[in-house]
Amino acid sequence: MKPPPFEYHAPESIEEALSLLAGVDGARVLAGGQSLLQLMKFRRAKPSTLVDINGVGELDAIEQRDGELRIGALVRQQRLLEDELVARSWQLLREATRFVGYAETRRRGTVGGSLAFAAPWAELCAATVALDATIDVRSANHGSRSIPARSFFRGPYETALEAGELITGVRFPARSRRSGASFHEVSARYRDYAQAAAAAVVDLDDAGECASAAVVLVGVARTPWLVDVTAMVPSLDGIGDGFEPEDDVEASAEYRRRVAPVLARRAVQEAFERARAA
Amino acid sequence: MSPSLPVRISVNGRWREGVVEPRRTLADFLREDLGLKGAHLACEHGFCGNCNVLFDGHNVRSCLMLAVQANGHAVETVEGLARDDGELDDLQRAFTEHAAIQCGFCTPAMLLTAKEFLREHPGETDEVAIRRAISGVTCRCTGYQQIVEAIRSVAAATSERAAEQA
Repeated sequence: MKPPPFEYHAPESIEEALSLLAGVDGARVLAGGQSLLQLMKFRRAKPSTLVDINGVGELDAIEQRDGELRIGALVRQQRLLEDELVARSWQLLREATRFVGYAETRRRGTVGGSLAFAAPWAELCAATVALDATIDVRSANHGSRSIPARSFFRGPYETALEAGELITGVRFPARSRRSGASFHEVSARYRDYAQAAAAAVVDLDDAGECASAAVVLVGVARTPWLVDVTAMVPSLDGIGDGFEPEDDVEASAEYRRRVAPVLARRAVQEAFERARAA
Repeated sequence: MSPSLPVRISVNGRWREGVVEPRRTLADFLREDLGLKGAHLACEHGFCGNCNVLFDGHNVRSCLMLAVQANGHAVETVEGLARDDGELDDLQRAFTEHAAIQCGFCTPAMLLTAKEFLREHPGETDEVAIRRAISGVTCRCTGYQQIVEAIRSVAAATSERAAEQA
């Protein structure tokens, strides 16, 4: 058996999960397990206890309330590709999820898990930043708090989550009717890790002109890199200012520096076309 | 050391019981405790897809699931594809007819992945759609062409039957 031994708990309510997380040193949340179990097999993660939230049904809902889209932490990534509400009004989520692993890993992998893991290549992290989402977390000792996605990601695999905290869900503000979104990515092999990616959202004013445009880039900095490009469209000249890409096994920094602006331009242009057609 | 836990999992339509350490993966439970060697382990980290099994009807990586997480759920492996009398499943027959089995290592995962794909998209003969459907399973013989042709032949037979009935 490759993973190190651990205590296993499978709570059925959020409260039960929180008290387990608060009560045990070194406890970690097991959601879809597509990253955590991998790390445990490499023995790079050795949690004393796993709190398996797969039986916490209240975390598994997608709903629209007060105009917002609310996605529970346990919602499987694959469901973002199949949900009609997501397809209708939050296309960026659907577009980004197409690039997340394979159907077999998306069937287990969760939205909350993707955010908590905060991999530097993660498409869903970029999408939550682009859509200005809010991440709701809870802990037994400090109750509930809400963290804007734009201040949630602190570094590769580092987030604003504190010990004992569980992501319960993520909320996406309503999109205006005249808006469009697009997600572009390059990887060395089909659906492999992103070498670079761009998530674009565009809002038009009543006259059909650009009211606001933003793009979030993956692969050019340590966390999802948000740029307000409202004043840069359509050329996006200067978008590469401040990039600090790194070399790794997937791509060189030089390649990322060159390809990211191309992806940004494509994504922004497509988001515009979609907004105009909306 | 964490205490072992009892599990009861429906495997190929039959309830199977066992007692497992929490760290035992579903793949190891199937292979070592039940002797079902069809879920093949290669990378054991979720990349290669050769350990795919159907979990409640959908393919998952059995190397990235704990056996305790399958407690009370239904798992189908390649061993459950053929009928009890040994008659092969349509996909199994197509794989042999199209020489879609070279070393055979990826075959169980390819079959199960194709099974789910054709169940959700019966009669889908588009080659790109088929290639995308199996993109999560690695064949190191690179015999993809024959595998795609085998899956396509089953889809084509389905759509022909549907056309005849229409």
